[in-house]
Amino acid sequence: MGGRRLIYLLMILAVGLPIVFGISQKPSRLVSAERMYDVVEQVKVQPGEVAMIWLDFGPNTSAENEPQAQVLIEHLFRRRIPVVLLSQYQQAERFLAKIPNEVAKRLEAEMPGEQWRYGEAWVNAGFRPGGAIFIQSMVNAADVSKFLGRDVNGMPISHYPAFSAIGGVERIKLVGEITGLVGVFDNIIQFFQKNEYRPTIVHGCTSITIPEAYIFLDSGQLKGLLEGIAGAAWYSVVLKEHFPNSENKELLVTNTALSAAHIVLILLIVLGNIVPLFERRRSSHG
Amino acid sequence: MVTTHTTDTRTKLIRIFTFLGGIYFFLYFVLPESAVNAIGMKSHHEQISNGFIVIGAMALGLGLYNIVRAHGARVVFQRAGWFNSLALLVGLSAMIAATSAQWIENVRNTKDIRSVQVLGEFATRIVEDAKTPPIDRTVPPVAERVFALIRYGEERTALIEAHTNLSVDEGTNGAASLVVGEVRERIASTRGILVELSGVAWERPSDEDLSRLTQFSQDAAKLASSYSILKRSHDAHSMSQKVYDFLFDGLFNQLGSAMFALLGVYIAAAAYRAFRVRTIESGLMMTAAVIVMLGQISFGKELYEHMPSIRQWLLEVPNSAAFRAIRLGAGVAGLMLAIRMWLSIESKSFSSGRK
Repeated sequence: MGGRRLIYLLMILAVGLPIVFGISQKPSRLVSAERMYDVVEQVKVQPGEVAMIWLDFGPNTSAENEPQAQVLIEHLFRRRIPVVLLSQYQQAERFLAKIPNEVAKRLEAEMPGEQWRYGEAWVNAGFRPGGAIFIQSMVNAADVSKFLGRDVNGMPISHYPAFSAIGGVERIKLVGEITGLVGVFDNIIQFFQKNEYRPTIVHGCTSITIPEAYIFLDSGQLKGLLEGIAGAAWYSVVLKEHFPNSENKELLVTNTALSAAHIVLILLIVLGNIVPLFERRRSSHG
Repeated sequence: MVTTHTTDTRTKLIRIFTFLGGIYFFLYFVLPESAVNAIGMKSHHEQISNGFIVIGAMALGLGLYNIVRAHGARVVFQRAGWFNSLALLVGLSAMIAATSAQWIENVRNTKDIRSVQVLGEFATRIVEDAKTPPIDRTVPPVAERVFALIRYGEERTALIEAHTNLSVDEGTNGAASLVVGEVRERIASTRGILVELSGVAWERPSDEDLSRLTQFSQDAAKLASSYSILKRSHDAHSMSQKVYDFLFDGLFNQLGSAMFALLGVYIAAAAYRAFRVRTIESGLMMTAAVIVMLGQISFGKELYEHMPSIRQWLLEVPNSAAFRAIRLGAGVAGLMLAIRMWLSIESKSFSSGRK
């Protein structure tokens, strides 16, 4: 009982201390996140062309998925690529509204005079039920803006100039899927394609789904991957190299706390193997 | 007897619809596009898919009904754990009420914003009709339409002006005071053009007059855009938004995160107690796990420079190979399950009528 309490205390201290004292370390270099940065950097859009970002996460995995969504949306906003946000997961509704607003607010504070406005920089198409069927229908629709119909505010998406003439799905130049749910990610991989059209898909996953995401990264179906918080942290470092005013302190602190938790976990595994060994030896000598 | 007959009919109906639904999507997926076009599937696909989406969305309503029924009964009859059920129902009702209030406010705002957007669109339509008179419909004379536009424009700008006088401390993008200034500027500009438009003899409009109308259309669109930001900024401070923020950010989000965070401490305890190297396989698994963890944190690189590369290799090569095998196996099993569901031999509810 006492041992378990000590383990819990160790874990709380490992996670809590970096957060309380704002300790941050440079994250580990993750090639998959760098690849994703390059992919987003290479996206070129003509008027009417957009990026489509699916935020398929709720409060349970927001600790990992929210920073990923923030860095990806920040990069797209900085590049002035119009973003359509939507979700297959009903609990994501709040994040669809909150994250782009926060990013816009941060960028406007960083660059006085510049504006990122709803309806120009992004549009929130909200939660869409239907999963795979919805995606298949959208992919086959003649005009994505008309197919999506109205945004969360009840306004027809085609009334926003930047999104009025998206046209066919081929004009979606980047597809981003931020989720910890394997099922919804599979929907995108399987059904977000048409005839000769294969979209550029990037993915932000939780740590637990990293092994599964790698098979798609390896096959080329995924062009970039953010692996948990560590992926988002490294992406933010790369973003800061290109945009020095980009703010990533909070994310680095979170990642440092997670790193400390990893170290504690490794120590516990090692201790968990050494201690019984000594105990066995002691009992055999005794 | 009657009940058995009704159940049989219902079971048959479910089987028929399940089979038809299955065969439709199977054919749409496997047939070449030319064949899909030739048999007319393509032209109706969007409507059919929407129908399926609607049926899927109904499951949400069904879920809600079941929750209220199951937990409502537990509360009413004070069965074991009734207090938890009550907490669930109170939470559910509070969230539905807050979301509905917010939705109603959103719809009202959208209507207001739309009423301003219409100004610009109306002006554009007048110009288009004046340049190329429509042949498929009759439109009132230009003078009458412009007069209506001016009257409506004055009405809308007065409404927006009233909104700019509302106190707004902080906006959606932290720039509400800037937006108020911008909206006021655009109101002044729009009004200026409205005055100019009212001085024109619209019985015989010149190209210059029409370009002034086009200018008005562009200004009205900008005004609508600024007004929508202002409206949403103002709403960020409304009571319904505050209640929703409290329920979602203050409770739901925190509770959800806390539930997941508990995993962290359990994993720590499990790592110490259960991650024991007893066989070669478990030794391999532990080594791989430690390398993957170390490769993901900066400490790993300090320990050994190539740790991130080894982690990358582990994930890309052995992990991908193993996961592909797992996915292939799961895929075949999924296919079998899908066939069984398609032919209605999987669920007990389908086969309960069989003797």
